[in-house]
Amino acid sequence: MNALRQLIHNSLRARIVAVFLGLLLVVQLAGFTAIRASLSSHAQSELPQRLGVGDRVLQSLLAQRAQKLTEGARLLSTDYGFREAIHSNDRDTIVSVLENHGQRIGATRVALYSADLALRASTGEPLDSVDALARRLWITASAAGTPADSPPSEIALLDGQPYQFVMAPVRAPVVVGWVLMGFAIDAQLATDMQSLAAAQLTLLSRSSTQAHWRVQLSSLPPRQASDLALSAWAAQPAQPGMTTVSVNHEEIGTHAQWLSGSSAAGAGVVAVTSLSVDEATQLPHDLQWALLAITLLSCAAFAVGSAFTANRVTRPLQRLAAAADRLGSGDYDTPMGIDSQGDEVGQLAHAFERMRVNVAGQKDEILKLAYWDSLTGLPNRAQFRDALRAAVAAAQEAGPVHASVAVLMLDLDRFKQVNDVLGYRFGDLVLAAVGERLSQHAVRGADLIARMGGDKFAILLHSGDGELAHTVAERIGKAFDVPLTLEEHTIDMGASIGIACWPQHAADADVLLSRAEIAMYATKRHGGGVLLYDPTLDASSSKTLSLLTELRAAISDAQLRLYLQPKLALDTAKVVGAEALVRWQHPQRGLVPPLQFIPFAEKTGFIRQLTLWVFEEAARHWQMLMGEGLLITLSVNLSTRDLLDPELPQKFQALLTQHDVPAEALCLEITESAIMDDPQRAQATLERLHAMGFSLSIDDFGTGYSSLAYLKKLPVDELKIDQSFVKNMETDGDDAKIVRSTVELAHNLGLSVVAEGVENEAVWELLRELGCDQAQGYHMGRPMPADAFYEWSVGWQAGRLPGNINPSLRLH
Amino acid sequence: MICFASFRTHACSWLLAALGCVCGASQAAVVRISVSDAAGSPLPQAVVLLESASTKLSVKPMPTVEVSQLKRQFRPQVTLLTVGTPVVFSNFDTVRHHVYSFSPAKTFELKLYAGVPNQPVVFDKPGVSIVGCNIHDQMAAWIVVADTPLHGLSDAQGQVRIDTVAAGNYRMWVWHPGLPALTDGVVSSLTVGQVDLNQPVQLDALAVPTASKP
Repeated sequence: MNALRQLIHNSLRARIVAVFLGLLLVVQLAGFTAIRASLSSHAQSELPQRLGVGDRVLQSLLAQRAQKLTEGARLLSTDYGFREAIHSNDRDTIVSVLENHGQRIGATRVALYSADLALRASTGEPLDSVDALARRLWITASAAGTPADSPPSEIALLDGQPYQFVMAPVRAPVVVGWVLMGFAIDAQLATDMQSLAAAQLTLLSRSSTQAHWRVQLSSLPPRQASDLALSAWAAQPAQPGMTTVSVNHEEIGTHAQWLSGSSAAGAGVVAVTSLSVDEATQLPHDLQWALLAITLLSCAAFAVGSAFTANRVTRPLQRLAAAADRLGSGDYDTPMGIDSQGDEVGQLAHAFERMRVNVAGQKDEILKLAYWDSLTGLPNRAQFRDALRAAVAAAQEAGPVHASVAVLMLDLDRFKQVNDVLGYRFGDLVLAAVGERLSQHAVRGADLIARMGGDKFAILLHSGDGELAHTVAERIGKAFDVPLTLEEHTIDMGASIGIACWPQHAADADVLLSRAEIAMYATKRHGGGVLLYDPTLDASSSKTLSLLTELRAAISDAQLRLYLQPKLALDTAKVVGAEALVRWQHPQRGLVPPLQFIPFAEKTGFIRQLTLWVFEEAARHWQMLMGEGLLITLSVNLSTRDLLDPELPQKFQALLTQHDVPAEALCLEITESAIMDDPQRAQATLERLHAMGFSLSIDDFGTGYSSLAYLKKLPVDELKIDQSFVKNMETDGDDAKIVRSTVELAHNLGLSVVAEGVENEAVWELLRELGCDQAQGYHMGRPMPADAFYEWSVGWQAGRLPGNINPSLRLH
Repeated sequence: MICFASFRTHACSWLLAALGCVCGASQAAVVRISVSDAAGSPLPQAVVLLESASTKLSVKPMPTVEVSQLKRQFRPQVTLLTVGTPVVFSNFDTVRHHVYSFSPAKTFELKLYAGVPNQPVVFDKPGVSIVGCNIHDQMAAWIVVADTPLHGLSDAQGQVRIDTVAAGNYRMWVWHPGLPALTDGVVSSLTVGQVDLNQPVQLDALAVPTASKP
């Protein structure tokens, strides 16, 4: 059963066949049931009619008998000897002649009545009931209007036996008496009934309401007849219409009528005509077999037919499924192989075929889009990369001695201006024209020109070392000397070209590409031209990429050191402050110079963490120095990133609170350029910091872009003159002038001024004369570990370091 | 018939009683009886007998009466005769007849014959005899044998004339074949005086039945 269910579940064909067969069986069953029901109801309605016929046949039979018997009796009663005998007064003679003549015609009971219906003689015992019967018959016979051909007769029980009685007059020559003849009813009646009406006849009699019905004669089988006599219907026989009785496990329809007696009397003779209901309602045997045969045959035919039809659907579906799989796995080229059916399945197959062709076409389209640049018609970045990889792989196989691959990266100069001035549409035209020009000039053989995107182009040279590449690049560069004329505009385009070669510059295709790019950017920064890649160009070599990780580790692994460079007041030569600087003690590289990581930190944004670290350390050391009795201002450098960080003041505040250091203890140094990157934001931050209590200082003043207007607005406390002006000021008159002007400007603006880069005593003196407030430089003190600062300051305070006040002693 | 027998004893006593009156007068009157049926119409072929004690003594047989058979009918249908009268049943038909009677008054049979029988049938007992033919069921005749000379058969007008009736009390017996089968005649008493007497009698009788009717 489960297997069958599985089969139906999985197979459309099996489902179709099952559905058809199921429907067929349902239809057959319905038909069969309908036939049965119809037959049954027909029989039910027909049976009473047939029983009615049977009843009428019985009546007719009885009437015929009566007539025959009466004729016989009449004839007999005209016999002379009979007449003579009954006129003898000898009763015995009369009885014997009654018997004799009765026998002649089969009458077993004969009685002679006088003309006034007094019993004169009878065979058998005289009975009142018989006399009464005779009287009734006489009345009917004597009545005027009785047709001669339906003589009266009655049926009565005599000794438990039903008799049919008739009357005949005895004429000698006028009626002198009446003779009553009784004829026993025998099985002939039932036989006649069966042959005429095809119905069964049963005669039942009972002597009183309490007695049981007795079967007098029956054409039913004895069991059924006795069952009928005993069954429940007997309480009320002679109902109108048909009564269905179950006798001996068979249903028979019956109709009963009283032949003698009545339902009032409850006793007498009842004639029951019956027909078998079961027989009438049963499906004729041959019809049953025929239906069965039809069912079986049609099932077979249906199964075959529906399987065939299902096949016509499922087989194409299977083929289509296979085709769909093929399409799914990327095979767009194999045609469907459908036989052209015009029907729905065929339509589906045709649709599939169209889809296949469309998808194949779309695939091609996609490939084209994937690998070709639509604007210039040149290969795109993806294709170039693939080609480069292939070339590198081939070259690797061949070996570096025999093969080399070179990548040229080309960037159009001033392309942005073209877009801005002449519009993007024109820019597109320019790109297309450049692409064309390149194609014309550059290549041979399998060399590839591609548009990498934007205004960048790349050229792949399959065999060529650096020199050849350089030559090609220069040739291309020259080609750009010729101006481009497009739509009445003539423009000069230039190109920056970077070259990277395999295997010198990189072994990997992607790295080769990026290095060519680096070379291109480098030459672009310096005004264009052709440049071969050099490792020094590469700011983002793996060396430097790892630097960031190491930097992060530097903080957590405590590799950073705080260095302090003292700031002296020029008038008192006292230590009034120190600039906090960060140094990196790398476990492998040793002391890493700040130039090697600070710019990198600024580029990567890591500078913020560094600044915070420096700030915290400075705060901490300020506390320590305070504890030791040295009250100075520590200066911390802020970068552009720090200035643009809106949460910087909170962070500083947190650290101040943490180390219990007043904001006034610290001074924040910011370069001009840092401020000018985003003056408004910078100002906002500086205002906040100033409000917190920090002193603010402009570092490297004079070297960057500055706006005096902003300078006026900013809450700055001091300026630091850049060392480039201070270092040589005793020899360079211009520098000295600048320094003097700056000092005056600062003082006029109410700012204090610090000179950086004091390297000799002469400068010290000069600055002192100019009225500069503070000085910082190698002459006084180099940046030193923060722990060593206190000692140094003590030494300085104690009349400077032993030796002299003479600045000729250099402290390097 | 049985009633008739018992009536005769009654009649004797009547006769004896009436005799005295009659002897005294010894005059003869004419008695006319008009018989009608239940509807009042004259009833022909009705028999009227007057009996007294003396009539029995004075009855004499009549000369031979002929009851013939012609066209398969007895003629006459009703015959009135006195005791001892011989009857000849002459067969004037071309077919033979088998004449019979089972009546107690005279039970006889003349087996299939034609023409005139050799011997007449003597009716020697008073009473009514129904005569029929065995092979012709529709033939029927009544022979009333009276044992009194005072008798008469009503004519078409239903009139009966009896002459020389001595005065006295008589028992009148009126009968018609149409009376119901086993009923005897209607009996009544009649006193005859010196004068003629007209006596109507009504009989509840149908017309003369034919044998074929029941």
